[in-house]
Amino acid sequence: MFTPSHADLLSIAPEIILTVAAGLLLVLEAFLPRTRRYMSELTIAAVVAAIWTRLYLPLPGEVWSGMLRIDATAGFVDLYILAALLMSVWMAGPFLRRSESEFGEFYSLLLLATVGAMVMASAQNLLPVFLGLELLSIPLYVLNAFLRRQQASVEAGLKYFVVGAFASAFIVYGIALLYGATASTDLATIGRLVVSAGSLSPLIAVGLAMIVGGLAFKLALVPCHAWAPDVYQGSPTPVTAFLAVVPKGAALVVLLRLVAEMDLPRLSPGGVVAAGVAAVVSQTLGNILAIVQRDIKRMLAYSGIAHMGYALVAVFVAGVDGGAAVLVYLAAYTLMNMGAFASIAMLSEREDRPHLISDLCGQGYKRPIAALALTICLFSLAGVPPFIGFTAKFVVFRAAVNEGFVWLAVVGVVNSLFAAFYYLRVVYSMYMRPLPQREPVYRFSLPMAAVAAVAALGVLVLGVYPTPLLDAAYTAILSLVR
Amino acid sequence: MSDYLLSIVLLSPTAFAILLLPIPRRWKKVHRVITLIASLIMFAISCRLWTSFDANDPGFQLDIGRIPWIPQFGITYHVALDGISLLLVLLTTLLLPVVVLAAWSFNIEHIKSLHISLLLLTTGMIGTFVSLDLFLFYIFWEITLIPMYFIIGVWGGPRRIYAAVKFFIFTMVGSVLMLVAIMYLAWFHHQSTGIWSYDYVDLLATAPLVPTTGGMLAPGLLVFAAFALAFAIKMPVFPFHTWLPDAHVEAPTAGSVILAGVLLKMGAYGLLRFNRTLLPDAWDRFVPLLLVMAVIGIIYGALVAMVQTDIKKLVAYSSVSHMGFVVLGLAAGTQASTQGAILQMVNHGLTTGALFLLVGMVYERSHTRQIADYGGIAGVMPVYTTIFLVFTFGSIGLPGLNGFVGEFLILAGSWEAYPAAVAIACLGMVLGAVYMLWMVQRVFWGPLDNPAMRSMPDINLREILVVAPLLVFISWIGIHPNTFLSPMEAAVRLLLAP
Repeated sequence: MFTPSHADLLSIAPEIILTVAAGLLLVLEAFLPRTRRYMSELTIAAVVAAIWTRLYLPLPGEVWSGMLRIDATAGFVDLYILAALLMSVWMAGPFLRRSESEFGEFYSLLLLATVGAMVMASAQNLLPVFLGLELLSIPLYVLNAFLRRQQASVEAGLKYFVVGAFASAFIVYGIALLYGATASTDLATIGRLVVSAGSLSPLIAVGLAMIVGGLAFKLALVPCHAWAPDVYQGSPTPVTAFLAVVPKGAALVVLLRLVAEMDLPRLSPGGVVAAGVAAVVSQTLGNILAIVQRDIKRMLAYSGIAHMGYALVAVFVAGVDGGAAVLVYLAAYTLMNMGAFASIAMLSEREDRPHLISDLCGQGYKRPIAALALTICLFSLAGVPPFIGFTAKFVVFRAAVNEGFVWLAVVGVVNSLFAAFYYLRVVYSMYMRPLPQREPVYRFSLPMAAVAAVAALGVLVLGVYPTPLLDAAYTAILSLVR
Repeated sequence: MSDYLLSIVLLSPTAFAILLLPIPRRWKKVHRVITLIASLIMFAISCRLWTSFDANDPGFQLDIGRIPWIPQFGITYHVALDGISLLLVLLTTLLLPVVVLAAWSFNIEHIKSLHISLLLLTTGMIGTFVSLDLFLFYIFWEITLIPMYFIIGVWGGPRRIYAAVKFFIFTMVGSVLMLVAIMYLAWFHHQSTGIWSYDYVDLLATAPLVPTTGGMLAPGLLVFAAFALAFAIKMPVFPFHTWLPDAHVEAPTAGSVILAGVLLKMGAYGLLRFNRTLLPDAWDRFVPLLLVMAVIGIIYGALVAMVQTDIKKLVAYSSVSHMGFVVLGLAAGTQASTQGAILQMVNHGLTTGALFLLVGMVYERSHTRQIADYGGIAGVMPVYTTIFLVFTFGSIGLPGLNGFVGEFLILAGSWEAYPAAVAIACLGMVLGAVYMLWMVQRVFWGPLDNPAMRSMPDINLREILVVAPLLVFISWIGIHPNTFLSPMEAAVRLLLAP
């Protein structure tokens, strides 16, 4: 029987802290419902503790007899997943109070979903990949539908559930095929077999395609993107922010590990072409459809589809440059989206109505902090310097140019023109159009303003001086790409 | 200390913009005064740069070396001046106080944001002219978009949103492809030398080696085209000019002046600095195309200007014509024509800037820019009319004022190589006189029919102060152009050296 060693337990200390906190919150909710008021703070404390342990405990590499690989890449991704969680929880407090749905389960589920994402990010075996995926997805189905009196929220939960179940089935079937072909679920073992064979056998190719296809649902890449706009729109805004960032990050890391272990760019030229097409189509379709959206959350859903198209370019450019570009892109994407959604939560009047861009008219001078934060995040998403979004795009396209994919860089930058168009529309609505006749009612909230301000400041500061982020990404990726 | 003067000029506008942030919006005067003081300090420092500049040294001066910025990619903070950049930095810092003073009477909302935008814009413009790292250059180039977008879109005319978005998207179309070209040049440098660098001085050694043979899709030609497109849209050269009239007409006076005065020059500067020196072989291949576009721009801009009914639009189209002369001078590529083109950039910044200021002044009084609404106002505004006439003469190239020197140098310098182009361009000068003088005649002379115009006050002291510096400089260039030609002479010679 396998008994976990001291090192095994220590390596997943952040996950343990979050799980214990999740359990504690459930107990408190059941027996001491009056503590609800402090649950947001309690959760924040747990997340900060988890971040602290992840920062200061060593990253041992393979643990749990090779099931998990807590390496520098996992550490990097864990940190940004935890940062995203922190910001979601921070803005969730006032949000839930405002929509009269402050229950401890919310935080508990959010914590469990994060644990799932962290397990995925460090999985070295296909079984924990699946385990993490389910632990990430199932709480999210509930969270999407958390505003249960609102039809859109319930609809979002149902849609994400149906699509998610579909994706899980894909992945589990792919795992079964890979196991059938190689008699192993260990990524390193499968990788060794594939690389020594020099090509992909049909069974392995189909298995990999199914796993990648399942991950594509989580990444909302075309053609697996159709759920995103409805789910983004219907979910409570803090959940949308979490959903926009965390599952995508975890799925991208799994993809990075698959690509690196199996040397896919070399062994599967067809796969590279398919990925290139998916990247280009995701960028183009995402950006073009975003132009016609009237709801800002739907617009950000389509923009997210396009952004994952950019990240996918970096995934299959691969190598140190490509891998580091993925990590940088994820960090940038997290900050921009968190800032944008926090600002939107502040700027929107009521949760049960669509977040129309036209409702933002004239807000630039009425709500200067939220509007400025949203403006900075949107310019950054559009890829305009000196913001982090530009740096991230630069790192991705630079990697593509260096590997000879100049055409992908050209498609990418041309796409950012469409993108500029719809991001600018939000900006001019806020600053260049007059306030509507009937002035909407707003409630200032310090935590939301803080999240928006911190994210926007990060977008600006890291955009002007990206060196620390690049250093961290380049150091981390060396643990994965050899 | 004096070594850091350039960085101080470059970064102090941003520092002042940050200083304005915490000051309450209500204190409009405070914002105006601080920005004016900041702009005067910057002008003083640039004059100090000018006096300490060694005109005999063709290379880059005030270079404090490369400061690592993104060491992973070999990107550095590297700024320096040569004679060409010096003139354009002077122009930028001269126009800023003028614009701030011109916006003094601007009775509008959000004065604070306007001044912050102007200051941030200044950092972007100066940075474009002094960056020696191509990545840094690109950052400054793009940074100018955001404040200008707000200046047009927030304080502009009725169709301001359309104009602002059009300005933003058009400029970005050019610049994003330039970004790929910059990445390609850095990659090529790495292939040749094994070192990652985006530095202009390093790339000068390897970029000319990018192959330009092998059909239309040779990498060297594509890289050239990507740079040239960015700069051609910004200048703007003939088929890419459609954003300009919209942006100029809708922008507030301050925006029009900066746009015409400096932003257009960024394109011409880039064409000379990067296309010409980094890709000389491709340049030779593209010269005929540039000449054709220049000549079409000169004639087309003048013809379209002639039929405009809106004074501001007329001046905007005249910019297309004037920038055509600049392209002609650059494309001809002789010492005289290139120096003429650079001087013409400054000239255009001064005269067109002044014309926009003057149009803005009567617009504030009468709230119309239609030529047909005016007539005979020379009688009620004699001083204003005199000043307007002087700038008109400067614009159409009357000897003794600035326009003549620039255009003469361009035409004389290009004559030997491209007589046909010069012949057509001369026609453009005639047309230039026609549209400007015809407009002047309809606005200032004739019967004073419009009763609203009868009581218009003449130009006041503040407004005279606004245009006085420009008046000084256009006469100075007209009478003694050598003051401005000599600092750039050595730099241009080095730049054109084969």
